[in-house]
Amino acid sequence: MKTFCALLGALVFGFLAGEAGAAQSRSPWEHSVVTLEVTRKQYDYLQPWTKRVAHVQKTGTVIGPREILTTADSMADQTMIRLQKGGRGKWWPGELRWIDYHANLAVVSAAEAAFWKDLRPVPLAASVPGKGSVQLIRWRNGNLEIRKTEINRLIVKGGKLSFLEHLHLEIDSEINGTGWAEAIVSGSKLIGMVSSKEEHGCTVLPSSFIRSCLEARKTEPYRGLGYFDFVWQRAENPATLKHLKLVGEPRGVIVIDSRAKPSQAQVLKRHDIILQIDGFDIDTQGDYKDPAHGNLLLENLATRNKRAGDKIHIKIWRDGAGQGVLYELPPVEYSVDLVPEAVFDQEPEYLLMGGLLFQPLTEPYLQSWGNDWRRKAPFRLSYYKLEKPAPEKPSLVVLSLVLPDAHNLGYQDSRYLVVNKLNGRRVTRLADLLEAIKHPVEGFHILEFRDGDSMQRMVLDAGETEAATRRVLQRYGIEKDHVIASPPLVLKAGVASNGK
Amino acid sequence: MAVQCAEPEKSVIQITTFSQQPIWDAGWRSDAVRKASGSGFVIRGKRIMTNAHVVSWARQILVRRYQDPRPYAARVRFIAHDCDLALLEVESDSFFNGLEPLDVGELPKVRSTVITYGYPAGGEQISYTRGVVSRIELQSYTHIGNRGYLAAQTDAAINPGNSGGPVIQEDKVVGVAFQGIPGLENTGFFIPPPLIQHFFKDIEDGTYDGFPQAGLRIVALQNPAYRLRLKLPDNDLGVRVDYIYPGVPKTKELMQEDDVLLQVGPYAVGSDGTILYQGNRVFVGAAFSEAQNGGLVPVRLWRQGQQMDVSLPVYVYREDRAEGNQYDVLPRYYVYGGLVFTPLNRDYLRTLGQNWFDAAGPELIYELFYRRQEAPQTARPEPIVLASVLSHAVNANLAVQGRTLVDKINGVRIEKLEDVIRAFESSPPQNQDVIEFLPDHTLECLDRAAVKQANAEILKTYGIPKDRRL
Repeated sequence: MKTFCALLGALVFGFLAGEAGAAQSRSPWEHSVVTLEVTRKQYDYLQPWTKRVAHVQKTGTVIGPREILTTADSMADQTMIRLQKGGRGKWWPGELRWIDYHANLAVVSAAEAAFWKDLRPVPLAASVPGKGSVQLIRWRNGNLEIRKTEINRLIVKGGKLSFLEHLHLEIDSEINGTGWAEAIVSGSKLIGMVSSKEEHGCTVLPSSFIRSCLEARKTEPYRGLGYFDFVWQRAENPATLKHLKLVGEPRGVIVIDSRAKPSQAQVLKRHDIILQIDGFDIDTQGDYKDPAHGNLLLENLATRNKRAGDKIHIKIWRDGAGQGVLYELPPVEYSVDLVPEAVFDQEPEYLLMGGLLFQPLTEPYLQSWGNDWRRKAPFRLSYYKLEKPAPEKPSLVVLSLVLPDAHNLGYQDSRYLVVNKLNGRRVTRLADLLEAIKHPVEGFHILEFRDGDSMQRMVLDAGETEAATRRVLQRYGIEKDHVIASPPLVLKAGVASNGK
Repeated sequence: MAVQCAEPEKSVIQITTFSQQPIWDAGWRSDAVRKASGSGFVIRGKRIMTNAHVVSWARQILVRRYQDPRPYAARVRFIAHDCDLALLEVESDSFFNGLEPLDVGELPKVRSTVITYGYPAGGEQISYTRGVVSRIELQSYTHIGNRGYLAAQTDAAINPGNSGGPVIQEDKVVGVAFQGIPGLENTGFFIPPPLIQHFFKDIEDGTYDGFPQAGLRIVALQNPAYRLRLKLPDNDLGVRVDYIYPGVPKTKELMQEDDVLLQVGPYAVGSDGTILYQGNRVFVGAAFSEAQNGGLVPVRLWRQGQQMDVSLPVYVYREDRAEGNQYDVLPRYYVYGGLVFTPLNRDYLRTLGQNWFDAAGPELIYELFYRRQEAPQTARPEPIVLASVLSHAVNANLAVQGRTLVDKINGVRIEKLEDVIRAFESSPPQNQDVIEFLPDHTLECLDRAAVKQANAEILKTYGIPKDRRL
């Protein structure tokens, strides 16, 4: 009896193990989904000379010969990429082939031919369903995890790494630890890639958006994404439309402001009513009827088969009459804001002068106050995020900290002051400071800050500043007195490519 | 009933206030009547001294004597919201029969012992708490919200109900208990004699004006290079004028940025911005606060390598009143087509809840607290917000629903509430009223004829007695 039971147990176990093994080997996805391990530099913007190393594991999906698709998230400042297939075993060296931070897309590859053995590319679905069941796939603890999930909706919204609004999928998912480029598949096709995890669901980059970016990648020079730089409001108030002399049924949206750089030409004017974009009628809520997906926000028309520099026909109502304008899509750039939204592949810029630490005012710097930085960062600094750049104020430099030294006695508690001038010269970039230091006034460095509720002026002994800087570097264990991007960071922070 | 008051406690008064505050985002309404208790003490001239916050917005004030069950009706004679002091009169003179007034003494020494008298919450009987004066320095006065004056800190418990009670040392009043720090036990603050005496002096002409300000932002001057640049001896004297606030024309005329204050009144000014004030190092602002409104403060200053003396007239600074809590004046508002317009001020923001600074959003905060200093050329004397929209068919299509700054109405830039009324009532003939909001220049229109028809109905529906209070 004992023997029989043991034998039965062995048989049952064998059967189950066989089933599991068969299930795994039957899944074609294990030949298309891989794991990426990214080692990257991580900076502390409050002490910009310090670095530490961070590791991230994420998912990649083979999409072509020697090409693995993943998100751009956490790929910046990477120092090493390793790839693993089959969920276990050997790690293979990988390399970044292409990246677009605004699109949140990256392509990596591996040099060793053996890595590609048994890997099969997955086709990207041409269209994306707006509802129904899909599967989320990733390697987890050595097993290929295939989880069923439901599509909630298609939505046009900002991405994880950019203010750019484009089409996303939202899926219903309580699965832990997602948000790292997990593949979303339907049938045998990739319909998207998870870009972020929210409380009760995930946001997914849809295959249609991914395809258009990958297609654009094949053309030289690569043209990144464009966007609509105008700000609009809904036109649901008939009295407002009447005031704007619109004839006929309520329709369109009203232009109220612009996000354009001061240098950009303005085709649209305040109080124009946008009636049609690229042949699509715009309704009073700002939606157009997409042939594939139904009602979508008009922002999607800037990325729907369009790239920066493309011209789009826009039909507007202005001064009581309809007319057409040709609108050129400006490239989406982080420098469009006075306080850049992101800085990638660049160690934090700073300049130390006699113990005074200057940094560009950027969103990564503000994020030093945590995810809730809009509330927790010094109000005046975070408020600059709402201000627009101007020709005389394209960017800002902030005195972020004073490292105490005899040279800066009396200023030790000063911080978060936005610099206006040094030695009478206007300062909007660290390079301006570097130049102005060469021109002391009667033996002094005279710093002027922007009007605010704190100190407006500081004076340092110019003859002592250099020695004080050396002293501070030594005392505080800092290697360099400045790190300044060249060319200026704001011009470099857009679409980046890496060894395509 | 005659009461002999040989001990201080017999001159300590229990005050019960029934108050009703206006609702700042619906200015025609008031909150429910609230009952609160505080303390006070009898001073010469048959008056009771207490805190302003004990009797603010009072509908009825009742005062009780020590161990006397009978309540007497009282009224406010003088109230000083900036320094949180008030003087009450009692309708019946007999209230003071047998009561000995308490005299105000000198600023107590740090480490000396004081006793706080009052009627704190938790009982009906008078309470005494003994404590030590821990420090004396400038503190923020929370009743007004945007002023700081000299205050003494003690470890004697000062709890709700203690407010307005005397702090006694050697039978003299050396302070009026007025505030604590939430969550911090054994830390209470009292208003010291110099402020009480300033208040007494101020009301001698029958009106309370307030504490004047020089309108200077003062910054420590301890960096040797800055001192050298200003040709100032490298010692511990002198503090730098960094900025002169708008709205102080006399100060602008007589003083300059980068002037160095060497002495204010009789006080030498240290390079850290403090003076030695009766044995305590306190911020130099205390020296300016000694003057009365319109008074002259002798200032010795250093300008461009030379010492000079200036008599600086100082005045009560009213430009920033919207940034502080306001009292005694009911909210200004105007209702048009169900749109409620009201001035942006701290009281309005406080209607957004305890966490009002975050709830208000950065635009309103910047407009109220920063713009006047940073961009005075774009600042409006009285920024106006659309506080709320009282739903009606005439405004049903508006997307903007409140908490929004008004930029223009019918092309008129809105600088104050009167501009709103003028813009609606005196605009050129047109079919729509056009309202533009900040910061995004959102545009909303109302059908003018429909609004004119609906106005009376809206006021009636929402129980608004008048469409405006100016």
